[in-house]
Amino acid sequence: MALKGLDIFKLTPKTNCKECGSPTCMAFSMKVAQGAVDISKCPHMSSDAMAALSEATAPPMKTIKVGTGDAEYSLGGETVLYRHEKTFVSKTRYAVRVNAADVDAKMAVIDNVDYDRISERMHVEMVYVDYTGEADYAETVKKVAGKGKTIILGCTDVAAAKAALDVCAAEKPILNGATAANYAEMVEVAKAAGVVLGVCAANIDELYDTTKAIEGLGYKELVLDCTEGTIKDTFATAVKVRRAALAKNPDRTCGYPSIVNVAALTADTTEQCGLASLFTMKYGSIVVMDQMTYAEALPLFGLRQNVFTDPQKPMKVETGIYPINGADENSVCVTTVDFALTYFLVSGELERSGVPVNLVISDAGGLSVLTSWAAGKFSGNTISKFFQENVEDKVKSRKVIIPGKVAVLKGDIEAKLPGWEVIIAPNEAAQLVKFLKDMQENGEI
Amino acid sequence: MLITMSLERGLKAMLINRIFNGNDAVYGLTVGAIDAAIAEHGADKAVGFPDTAYCLPCYYAVTGVKVKTLGDLKEAVGVVKTLMTRNHELDDALMSGVATALCAEFIEALKYIDGAAPYAEPCYGHLSDAIIRTLGVPLVTGDIPGVAVILGSAPTAQEGVDLIKSYQAQGILVALVGGIIDQCEELGYKTGAGLRVVPLGKDVTSVIHIVSVAIRAALIFGNVTPGDAGALLAYTAQRVPAFVNAFKPIDDVILAAGAGAIKLGFPVISNETENIAEVPGALIQQLDTAAMNATSLEARGIKIKVTNIDIPVAFASAFEGEIIRRGDMQVEFDGSRVDCFELVQSKELSEIEDHKIEVIGPEIDEFEVGSKHSIGYVVEVAGKNMQADFESVIERKFHSYINCIEGVMHTGQRDMIRVRISKDAYAAGFRAKHIGEVLYAKIKNEYDAIVDKCQVKIYTNPEDCTKLRHELAVETFNKRDERLNSLTDEAVDVYYSCILCQAFSPSHVCVVTPERLGLCGAVSWLDAKATNELDPNGPCQVITKERVIDERTGAYEDVNEAVKKFSQGAVEQVTLYSIMEDPMTSCGCFECICGIEPFSNGVIIANREYAGVTPLGMTFPELASMTGGGVQTPGFMGHGKHFIASKKFMKAEGGIERIVWMPKELKETVADRLNKTAFELYGIENFTDMIGDETIAEDPETLLAFLTEKGHPALGMDPMM
Amino acid sequence: MPFNGKSGKFNAAIRTVEIGTGDKAVKLGGECVAPLYSFDAPIENAPKVGVLITDHGFENESEGIKAYYEGCSNWGEIAQRAAAMEGADFLVLKFDKADPNGENAPVEDCLAIINEVAAATDMPLVIAGCKNAEKDAEIFNKAAEALQGKNVLIFSAKEENYKGVAASAVLAYGQKVGAESSVDINLAKQLNVVISQVGVDMGNIVMNVGTATAGYGFEYVVSTLDRVKAAALGQDDAQLQMPIMTNVGDETWAVKESTASEADIPAWGPVDARGVNMEVATAMAVLASGSNAVILKHPTSVATVSKLIKELM
Repeated sequence: MALKGLDIFKLTPKTNCKECGSPTCMAFSMKVAQGAVDISKCPHMSSDAMAALSEATAPPMKTIKVGTGDAEYSLGGETVLYRHEKTFVSKTRYAVRVNAADVDAKMAVIDNVDYDRISERMHVEMVYVDYTGEADYAETVKKVAGKGKTIILGCTDVAAAKAALDVCAAEKPILNGATAANYAEMVEVAKAAGVVLGVCAANIDELYDTTKAIEGLGYKELVLDCTEGTIKDTFATAVKVRRAALAKNPDRTCGYPSIVNVAALTADTTEQCGLASLFTMKYGSIVVMDQMTYAEALPLFGLRQNVFTDPQKPMKVETGIYPINGADENSVCVTTVDFALTYFLVSGELERSGVPVNLVISDAGGLSVLTSWAAGKFSGNTISKFFQENVEDKVKSRKVIIPGKVAVLKGDIEAKLPGWEVIIAPNEAAQLVKFLKDMQENGEI
Repeated sequence: MLITMSLERGLKAMLINRIFNGNDAVYGLTVGAIDAAIAEHGADKAVGFPDTAYCLPCYYAVTGVKVKTLGDLKEAVGVVKTLMTRNHELDDALMSGVATALCAEFIEALKYIDGAAPYAEPCYGHLSDAIIRTLGVPLVTGDIPGVAVILGSAPTAQEGVDLIKSYQAQGILVALVGGIIDQCEELGYKTGAGLRVVPLGKDVTSVIHIVSVAIRAALIFGNVTPGDAGALLAYTAQRVPAFVNAFKPIDDVILAAGAGAIKLGFPVISNETENIAEVPGALIQQLDTAAMNATSLEARGIKIKVTNIDIPVAFASAFEGEIIRRGDMQVEFDGSRVDCFELVQSKELSEIEDHKIEVIGPEIDEFEVGSKHSIGYVVEVAGKNMQADFESVIERKFHSYINCIEGVMHTGQRDMIRVRISKDAYAAGFRAKHIGEVLYAKIKNEYDAIVDKCQVKIYTNPEDCTKLRHELAVETFNKRDERLNSLTDEAVDVYYSCILCQAFSPSHVCVVTPERLGLCGAVSWLDAKATNELDPNGPCQVITKERVIDERTGAYEDVNEAVKKFSQGAVEQVTLYSIMEDPMTSCGCFECICGIEPFSNGVIIANREYAGVTPLGMTFPELASMTGGGVQTPGFMGHGKHFIASKKFMKAEGGIERIVWMPKELKETVADRLNKTAFELYGIENFTDMIGDETIAEDPETLLAFLTEKGHPALGMDPMM
Repeated sequence: MPFNGKSGKFNAAIRTVEIGTGDKAVKLGGECVAPLYSFDAPIENAPKVGVLITDHGFENESEGIKAYYEGCSNWGEIAQRAAAMEGADFLVLKFDKADPNGENAPVEDCLAIINEVAAATDMPLVIAGCKNAEKDAEIFNKAAEALQGKNVLIFSAKEENYKGVAASAVLAYGQKVGAESSVDINLAKQLNVVISQVGVDMGNIVMNVGTATAGYGFEYVVSTLDRVKAAALGQDDAQLQMPIMTNVGDETWAVKESTASEADIPAWGPVDARGVNMEVATAMAVLASGSNAVILKHPTSVATVSKLIKELM
């Protein structure tokens, strides 16, 4: 059970010295309780208090950092099993698997997928270099290094791993290769190179024992490879490990990020895509696949973007004018809020209508139509101001369609936006298609 | 007194005797008919109705026995005899009514022997299972709001047809038995199942065919087990909204059949006056045929949905924001200049004539274009579930209702309203009475769970408006305000849950009490109560408060159970009056957050609009991020602005004396009420002068200095933690 | 010391609802573990996969779907072809054309299709409407009557029409009924309660809590499903223990990712590959959150999802 802010506050010096970076001891304590700040930031905490708090406030699951620069990613650090309880903090990262035989071909197309979706860059973030017993594994790794991808070395051969690290240790790769047989040597290799070590096993008991043994050697920069012989066992291990890590009495040996190699479970890329979805939902920190074309990227990045969101903060789209169905400056305007769900719903129906319209999105705090209206964030003022500042010089049409649920704004908008005619849309987005088509037929727009 | 009682007893005895007589007569006829049929066809002869899987449905439903042959029927009539007990009690009489109905079914069944077709156009006789399945669905959904059984001949054919028409217009299914069928033919009035007017037959026994519909509906739609007479009677009484209109003369047989109807829960309304007595709610006299409809609906508790609003201009939410400028205005009612008011009053059912709309005083036609006048409209409502507390809840909706009228603008509430009617609306025929039509239709539609009847009085004489405003409206408003002020947590038996925000905040549950409205500031205890009454399965549920754990903190076992249930187990216990011990959770829509300020031993409050930093070193969004989402954060709590001046505000920690800092704007908003509470609780005058704000301090040290200088009471209180 | 984690088996279970008759009948629900957690306790009835057929035919579908049904000349043949898909457990007939705001096809047209399909296949049938509550009630009423004895699922009653739909489907004609709400646990529960108040036994209800395509507000779907299952199993909330069916295909094949032609966006590659993956990924995510059945369109999706389900059992 995590400590409440007030319990932490009681142990602070209560001097508001600000040395921790927070203006007051209370603010600092609340941030620690939320896991936003580490307790060690307070220089004046007594050592007894510090010891008591570090244990209690240490997250049940470690946050492991891999990669460098733009390709540095945080894995793990989760505190809940379900997203509605609290935000999932570390997105699932997708890796493409390469080996000596296909590395050139795969690396040639790896950046084909690279696009923005709701202000997030979507691209292959990691490359999993599979050791296939080749003599020059390091050569294969070299072809992946320096490409802005975080490297995962899938290699249980100590010597090969060492050689590979020689060419890429600086990029902070993951060495996914500790087994029950080699873990002692692998720990040395990982320690020496300063990289995260992946633990591999045939089953969950072996995984657990090996991890425990590695912890015994004092190394805790780990990720757990949950991949086993079958889909069922892999899923079971991924779930069981995460569940034990976040249980009421956390098992800290399970408290590490996971790797799931779906490419090892099936050769069929459609099945891999389905499994990648499953493990995005259920506890894969890194999911390894054979390819990431647009066919994989579109569903998986979309899914990930949705699942790893703050359950209390709705997703927002950027404000602006979105021309739909080839709309131009003479096309009618339709306006709604910047709540992503509303935007997708409305823009989808607008597209289906086939009628050219300019969809104008103003800042409504990311709330739904009625909520933002009630909060005063979608009002005659905000809409007219946005139109005056951002729309009037770009669009010649002087007709704007507003959501039926805020029909009450009509008079206000017309008063504040001289020259504009306000048209009331139906209450539900689903009715937009017929509404727009009718208006078009009647020559009203 | 003694005389009336003995008179009543005499009348009851007479009624019971007549029912017994009628039942005996029908029974005799039935036994005779069955014996004759057996003599003619033999006991093995098949008997039953066509197109039904339920044999003789009424007998099957009551006993669970399927009658298939004349021999079975002979046995069945013996069973019926056992129902015919002869104690002089109402119950015996009603059971004899059931026996009469079953006899009627037997007699009707005999008509169908050998595949005979005993009924000819326009009569239907027996109705098939298929018809019941199609009629049953609209009956369940309420699309057919009721079933009227008209029996006998109306005083005149025209009156009879007019009565049928009135039911048809309400969507009620009408079954006809006896002379009324001839009366329809006489006037050429069309009948048929498609028109929902079904002539059954001319013999009184044919009434069983509509009873059979009700009973098969219970078997099909009510999952009633055949033979479970109790469940059957409960279903017909609760779910089949039927009633009987029986025209005189009512002989003993009809009376006995009527007793059967009453046992099923169907009231009988009749114009008979000879040798009969009223039984409240069951056997009712109505001499005026034109009033039979209203009497019947009220007796059976049938409500007719109002779907269209009868006004000459459009009505839609699209017009809600319409602004009518001075130049476009035909007439204006302006409460800021002359006496105007709007009011909902609850009345007794008998005091109201449903849908009566009166304009008392001149219509708009008599006003000059662009002129200003008084108006007062009183909407009188009545209903079995209506409570005076709901008056204000309904009244608050007037603004939106009237604004949705094309060409009409409404602002304000109570006696500070302004209504403008545009020239266009006037030209289209819109008049003051149409305001009444709109209010009537909307209230009947949206509040049908609590409003059974509604009438509207619109006053346009300045004298009336002045008098009623002061003597009626303002009086009522004052009483309501008093009630609201006297409404304390202790004064009520139940609280309400509110889970409107769970879409965003899955584990949050608001416990709404009279002194602690929802933390969004939008849901008061009265609102929650009305929401619960209107939608018993909706977001507001009753929470009892019978098992106190701790008065001081406001902890109750019942409240904890409710919170656990409605948060799906995420929150196990909350207190109503403490911010330190299990404080109530917040969804994220709170108007304000209060948080503990340890250095001054008090709390600070920040409202959503405040953009700066609080002396805690945190901004409103920072505070919100740790308080929202349905998690309990001791020392911090979201709440509504109104709660700040409540005597229950963090009562467990000492109450409002703990408040040490608020943004200036918030402080000013709540100052009057907060100062009043502080004076009442602690005798402190101008308490808000002791409370810091952002112009005084944004850090704890400066704040503490200020509080020390002012001698703020929190400094001397017990430590909060 | 080997791994020692607690089993996640619950004392409560999801209700089992059967649709269809005879050998092909399918059972939905019955599990007492979190979605797909067959390692905690056996999952009695694996999640099922249905094939969606709409009255629009396949004219506007992707090449892959069109090709699969090529040569079918009537609804009976279409139904048989759909039933022959590898991994198909049931068929779903959806009447988009009946929408009064669209083509407003008469109820008789829907019935004609229903009768042809029913005559041609013994697969369990799910009858879906056109989004318009009033028209749906009409279609459902007639469909339930026409399919008496087939134990079909009428998919679905919603707030606006539940009384008529539930009463006619279950009470009058002995079918099963769906309860459709829009991605909100409380609305879902409320609808179950009011449907049962009509007189429908909770064991005849299948929930349809709504869905979205992955990427399109799908987080609400995840959390709604997660919470429904948590309440049903963790809190033993009888009013949420109905199995859940989700119409995935209809949603995923409507978004740009699955419809934009390769000519318009060459970088995206062939439509079918994208559409199938959108469908498969969304279906797997919906199943992972608790749906007991998914409705899909593309034969490859049906085969893939049903194979993955089998692997997980």
